[in-house]
Amino acid sequence: MAVLLRRLAGHVARGLVMILVVTTISFLIIRSVPGDPLAARYQKLVEQGMAPDAAQRAVEALYGFTPKGGLWEQYLDYMGGLAHLDLGQSLSVPGAGVSTVLFSAAKWTVIPVLAGTLLSFLAGVVMGVYAAIKRTGVLGDLLAISGSLLHGVPQYVLALLLGAIFTTLIPILPAGGTADIMIDPGFTADYIGSLVEHATLPVVTYALAGYGGWILAMKSSVVTVLGDDFILAAELRGMKRSIIFRYVARNAILPLFTILALSLGLLFGGAIFIERIFNYPGLGLMLIDSVNNRDYSLMGGAFLLITTAVVVANIAADLLYTVIDPRVRSGGETA
Amino acid sequence: MKRLTAVAALLSLTAVAACSGGGTNGNSTGGGGGVYTTVDLNKPSLDVNAPINPWNPKGNAFWGYNAMRIAWAKNTLTDPNQFYPGIAASWDIAPDNSSITLHLQPGNKWSDGKPVTAEDVKFSIGLAYTQGSTAFAVDPGAAGAASDVEVVDDATIRITQDMKNPSVTFVRGVMDAFVVPKHVWQSVVPADFWDTLETARGDGPQAEAARGQIKALSEKVLAFAPPQDVSAGPFVLKRMNPGEALLVKNTNFYNAANVAPDQLKLLNTTGNEQIWNYLTSGTLDNAPFTAVPADVMKRIKATPGNQVVKGYSPVAVSLAFNQAKKPYDNVHVRRGLASLIDREEVTRIASPEGGTAAVTTSGIHQKAAKEWLGADLDVLDPYGLDTARADKEFAEAGLRKKDGKWAMADGKPWKVTIHIPAPFSDWVSAAKAITSQLTAAGVDAEVVTTADYPLYLSELAEGKYDLGFWLIALGPAPYNIFQRLYGTSNGWNILGGKVKHSAPGKDGNWMGGPETIDVDGVGTVNPGELTAQLNTVGGDEQKAVIAKLAKAANQDLPVIQLWDYVNTQFVNTNRFTGFPEDESDLLRQPSGVWIQLGLIKKKQ
Repeated sequence: MAVLLRRLAGHVARGLVMILVVTTISFLIIRSVPGDPLAARYQKLVEQGMAPDAAQRAVEALYGFTPKGGLWEQYLDYMGGLAHLDLGQSLSVPGAGVSTVLFSAAKWTVIPVLAGTLLSFLAGVVMGVYAAIKRTGVLGDLLAISGSLLHGVPQYVLALLLGAIFTTLIPILPAGGTADIMIDPGFTADYIGSLVEHATLPVVTYALAGYGGWILAMKSSVVTVLGDDFILAAELRGMKRSIIFRYVARNAILPLFTILALSLGLLFGGAIFIERIFNYPGLGLMLIDSVNNRDYSLMGGAFLLITTAVVVANIAADLLYTVIDPRVRSGGETA
Repeated sequence: MKRLTAVAALLSLTAVAACSGGGTNGNSTGGGGGVYTTVDLNKPSLDVNAPINPWNPKGNAFWGYNAMRIAWAKNTLTDPNQFYPGIAASWDIAPDNSSITLHLQPGNKWSDGKPVTAEDVKFSIGLAYTQGSTAFAVDPGAAGAASDVEVVDDATIRITQDMKNPSVTFVRGVMDAFVVPKHVWQSVVPADFWDTLETARGDGPQAEAARGQIKALSEKVLAFAPPQDVSAGPFVLKRMNPGEALLVKNTNFYNAANVAPDQLKLLNTTGNEQIWNYLTSGTLDNAPFTAVPADVMKRIKATPGNQVVKGYSPVAVSLAFNQAKKPYDNVHVRRGLASLIDREEVTRIASPEGGTAAVTTSGIHQKAAKEWLGADLDVLDPYGLDTARADKEFAEAGLRKKDGKWAMADGKPWKVTIHIPAPFSDWVSAAKAITSQLTAAGVDAEVVTTADYPLYLSELAEGKYDLGFWLIALGPAPYNIFQRLYGTSNGWNILGGKVKHSAPGKDGNWMGGPETIDVDGVGTVNPGELTAQLNTVGGDEQKAVIAKLAKAANQDLPVIQLWDYVNTQFVNTNRFTGFPEDESDLLRQPSGVWIQLGLIKKKQ
């Protein structure tokens, strides 16, 4: 326990420094993105038929929502705000706080990506064990091929295929949105059913896209463990195969847990292509929107969220390893 | 493990259900008039966090549906001052355009049951002053600004124009104003607002301070979020999620008896592809002006009930020159290039459904040009495909042909580089077609794409490009049309009612054209000053100015007009009928306006 707490304290300190550094770098990068949001807004208003002088005045009304002062002043303002957990105001949605916008988009990314990742992890791990055991047979080959195939196909291609099949050819799933607006929101079977129905295609796409990587990693990990001395010793002692495989699976899954924890950290990055294809308005689409609108505050908030998530996931992965691997817990000493 | 996953999934969905937007528990909403489904052209991307506020760029006040203007502009070729009723049922315009008296819809009520009065209109005009509009500007010398707003009675209000600097578009500026309920919004502005406004219209330091106070309110107005929708439109916003907005019929609307749909669904879209998919699946009752490639159009038309409606769109696209860069400062080079571009082919490739090849470069959409110029349109140089003429023009400009390729006068290589914003697929196709045509004619050419539109606009304004695509002919108001060629982008700005010209590279002047042009049969003209005149002159005088400017644009070619847009809309007659026909003057208004005017009927 003391080892764990010591590790945790070190990680948290390092994590905070990392967040500070990345936040500073992303602040500078965001501020150096060329393109003027107000000029783009002006053009849009003029193209909509507004007189140029009126469009100019309408754009001036937005000045209040753009960051003021020099770079250093803006940086101090930004960091000062962060110290009070204030991420600022959105430029593209005047009046809406960045944290509000982030939170409302986050749930539409985190939950489907999490569901998809866990599904692919479970399926990949189980099938990976089978693929390793049956690696000399037809089943093993088929499983390995399925993994390679799905690992090689880009996410957005999968999404386009699934979308074309299930929304156009066999239109059994909705083509976009998060829930049927005609159903009153609430904790009802109808509404939850609608949420599930709308999330099905994104979740299945995430799951299929991730499955290939997990099955191949698990298969390779199992095959490595099968060659370890302790397995040979167990076999020589006449231990049951089922017990041996329990040992194998436990040891083989250890590195995959680390990858899983890290991939969970990337949840907040959003899956831009998938969200766009399925018109599923999560963090990915929000991030693209904020870049297109040069919404500096929103971009900064999104990058901060992603950075924090990755740092926390790293810490979690490390602590998880400490918990599940006795060799790490004892400081690498072997009995 | 499986059980754990199932529980986790259920908990996740519960979390989403718990934190999803409002609404009351109960059964699905339904009604006899049916659900009308569309996409809002003005706000295709929905945002649940945005306030129900018509001035907010992403606000959930949708024009024509739950946000009302005083009146709705007709899509006319030449007259910006024709309207359909909105909050106002009728209006009287003074012969000299000095005032407009609005008569509000009788018996009209907000969705919460309170009457819509002239006080609401006056209050909304006050809010418009904080946002800056055409008729409601506090800037000294602003053209076409109102000087007085007077409530005559509960249903009548008079707005008077400041005749020190009048504008022919004053009426349009008034009619475009949004009207919001005073009893919901009144906390946004201080009690002495109108006194401050009166002071702001004067001169001196006090007026300056008052203008500052008015402008300081703009942020507050932009961000104001009413707790719920109180609408005077045909619909009221009931609820939203990130993918859709649901609006229900406003039974207090003045023309509610003729509003066919009980409910209205607005779908979120992030690009044209989604609109195509919705159309192909027959989901939409109407889709707004959407660029569609030919193969997709076939699929859309094959869907039962889908129909295409086409009409006038006062927009054209052009290839614009930066005349500060050589050799584009030479008019013969510009004319030579115009003679090498096959506009018919370019339009066929880039915008087969939504465009008509430009008949010439006049700065005006060809349909409006026929009205404005009459027979003079046929006199303009059409710049038809003519390689011999191009050779002659290039030679006259001093360019030299070496090994079958045109080079600069000093023998250095010449490459035409056309910049395009990458997301605009029709422009990219057009630019590629143009470069192919130029290359085939011995002019080395390339297309360079810019990551997105904001970056494109800022680099264009900085004068970084030799050539770029530029929207022109933004009618129907003549001043709006010609300021695209002879406005800020070409060095002319109107400051305090006075026209000022800036040198290339200064104050947004990226076109870098000459300040005066010698026009055949007209003489020397200052096109920026002529353009500014279009704000004030009317009738035959206006026509005469337009004729001069069209000649100047045609002869001097600050841009090459490529194609004129066609407003291409889609309707589906499976559920509703009565949609506007081809060329209807309602086609540029959202379908909420068609519905509120009683055009749309439920299919029997």
